[in-house]
Amino acid sequence: MTDKAKRQRIRKILYWGLPVLAILTVVLAWVLFSASHPELMPGPVAVWNRLLRTFTKPIGRINLLGHAWASLKRVLSALVFAWAFGISFGILIGWNRTARAIFGSIFEVIRPIPPIAWIPLIIMWFGIGETAKVLIVFIGTFVPLVINTSTGIRAVDEINIHVGQVFGGSRFQILTQIVIPTALPHIFAGIRTSVSSGWTTVLAAEMLGATAGLGSMVTKGWNGGDMALVLVAVITIAVVGFILSTLLSKLEKVVCPWNN
Amino acid sequence: MSESINQAPVKVAVRNLTKKFGDLLVLDNMTFDIHRNEFVCVVGPTGCGKTTFLNCLTRIHEPTEGDLYIDGVPADPRKHNISFVFQEPSAMPWLNVQDNIAYGLRIKRLPQAEIDRRVNQILDLMGLQDSRRKYPGELSVSAAQRVIIGRSFAMQPDLLLMDEPYGQMDVKMRFYLEDEVIRLWRELKSTVVFITHNIEEAVYLAQRVIILSNKPANIKETLTIDLPHPRSVSDPRFIEYRNYITDKIKWW
Amino acid sequence: MEQLTKKMEIIGVSKTFFNEKDYFTTLDSVTFDVHEGEFLVLLGPGRCGKTVLLNIIAGLVEKTSGSILYDGHEITGVNSEVAMVFQKMALMPFKTVMENVELGLKFKHMPKAERRKICQRYIDLVGLQGFEKAYPSALSGGMKQRVGIARAYANDPKVLIMDEPFGALDAQTRYAMQNEILRIWGEEKRTIVYVTNNIEEAIYLGSRIVLLSQCPATVKAVYPIDLPRPRDMVSPEFMALRTEISNNTDLSI
Repeated sequence: MTDKAKRQRIRKILYWGLPVLAILTVVLAWVLFSASHPELMPGPVAVWNRLLRTFTKPIGRINLLGHAWASLKRVLSALVFAWAFGISFGILIGWNRTARAIFGSIFEVIRPIPPIAWIPLIIMWFGIGETAKVLIVFIGTFVPLVINTSTGIRAVDEINIHVGQVFGGSRFQILTQIVIPTALPHIFAGIRTSVSSGWTTVLAAEMLGATAGLGSMVTKGWNGGDMALVLVAVITIAVVGFILSTLLSKLEKVVCPWNN
Repeated sequence: MSESINQAPVKVAVRNLTKKFGDLLVLDNMTFDIHRNEFVCVVGPTGCGKTTFLNCLTRIHEPTEGDLYIDGVPADPRKHNISFVFQEPSAMPWLNVQDNIAYGLRIKRLPQAEIDRRVNQILDLMGLQDSRRKYPGELSVSAAQRVIIGRSFAMQPDLLLMDEPYGQMDVKMRFYLEDEVIRLWRELKSTVVFITHNIEEAVYLAQRVIILSNKPANIKETLTIDLPHPRSVSDPRFIEYRNYITDKIKWW
Repeated sequence: MEQLTKKMEIIGVSKTFFNEKDYFTTLDSVTFDVHEGEFLVLLGPGRCGKTVLLNIIAGLVEKTSGSILYDGHEITGVNSEVAMVFQKMALMPFKTVMENVELGLKFKHMPKAERRKICQRYIDLVGLQGFEKAYPSALSGGMKQRVGIARAYANDPKVLIMDEPFGALDAQTRYAMQNEILRIWGEEKRTIVYVTNNIEEAIYLGSRIVLLSQCPATVKAVYPIDLPRPRDMVSPEFMALRTEISNNTDLSI
């Protein structure tokens, strides 16, 4: 008995300790690698100092938070449009056979194209201003939303629609009160993908020419051989991405309370 | 009612089996023996902890206390072979019927001749020779379940655990499959523990019925069903057994 | 005895499914009557045709031929006086017990206070008081199906169709729910059309049993069940009837 209890306690500690251990290992590897190859990889101390310097000597008169906000603003404004249009469009082609027949195949063709492939065309049409960047991010976020939403709508079990019919629901009532809520977990998966894909796309868009944004910091660090700056940008990207996904899972719990 | 003495040696011994989840006691100090080549049914009221009981026997859960002994030594997956049949059919969809039945035998690296012999024996006993090259997807739910049952018997396991494998079948089909499982058990001299909620099914199949109490589960009684196979569900003695067990666990 | 008013007449109903290469007949000229106020059981082996037949009776699926009369009139499309209890429960996971039960009344735009009152009565009737705000995921299988029954009753149907409602429950919970459904039927008399593959359940519940064959389903026999209620599942009369019906049932290996 004591033997089994002991084994269980060890297991519990192990599952708590292993993730911490994994992170420590990565940091340790970073320290060791940067100590032996400082020209390839700046160490944690150098990166920390570089981070502080983004506030005392802002890049292009914008400090780190300003750059992060610039990127975030682009993503958020693209997301507002993408959520509005992507989800409605996904519902339309998921629910309506005619709409699916018209738009479905076009979408199948566009869908595998990575959003950054559109960059040259968009720059040609819209220049390199704010509109172009937001538009590229929009494309990158719109696609996963449409795919997930329409898949979710089509995956609704026929029996749920039968329930709606038996209990006298109109087609519109069945769509809004049964089908869309049933598809919400799918739609949320789309929202989650759209946020991470938007965050990826905005950096690509900014690296091609911007005066503000984390992507421009990466480019600047790269061009100036300032790897510490690149790492500061990279870490900020990771932190903001993590915050976004945490917020989203909180939001999902509020919107879909039945999923525990 | 009486418990007759089984002359066969003890194959499986469960000693002081106890399982707690935190402070919640689910299995309470269960001790019983299963003899070699015995067919035992386990019945209990809904929610009595049968799933936990099964998971402890199959080692999906580690018991909090107590253990399972096979041939006198603690059960060890490397040495012993415990097979299960679950409620939902779980045939490998990419293997046809004969390969499904041979699956476990191949893993055990039995000689090909022995594999062929056993697969043929099972197919004969179950009347599945004609569908030996069909895939599970082409079979009905009941036929797919039979393939799994055949696969488990083919392993000639030390202990065969069946968790309500006929729960969703219609009654006529159930009796057919129950007769079949008795045939397989007889021919292959397996040791079977069959778990069910259905008292009639337990009395129809078992040599001995283990009746579980409400949660936390322990053994309320073991009852020897002293009727020859095949049994008739309308035989007054059958009904007497059925009523007796029903009285022990009835909550509905 | 039930009064013998014909509530529904199912006359020569057939259903064949077609695809590009193949066709498949599940129902072959099925004919029977449903009497007002009775508990009619459709008993059939395996998984052939029964759900399709119910869906046709409810107007969810089109029949290939035949007709369905309701109060003597032919109907097409969804019949608003029919409600259904589904085998797969089909509760909305995103709605609470109360919201699931009030679904039909909400579709009809009944004011909230009024529909809540009606639904509360049926939630109480099926014994779920206290669980109004729970989500289905927090309920056991038997409780989920109680929600399904309350949802159907709340819609005030004249005919209740039940598609193997207890098929997914264990044998003992099933006994409990059989008694429940008889109690509810006693308190709120409706015409019930009940599908099952379980002979014991059919004899325990039914005023009459319509025995269906295996694929394609046809009517093999109709058994009126005159045993007094509550019925004893191990009485000689019950057992004799069970054997008789069982001998007449197809085995679908």
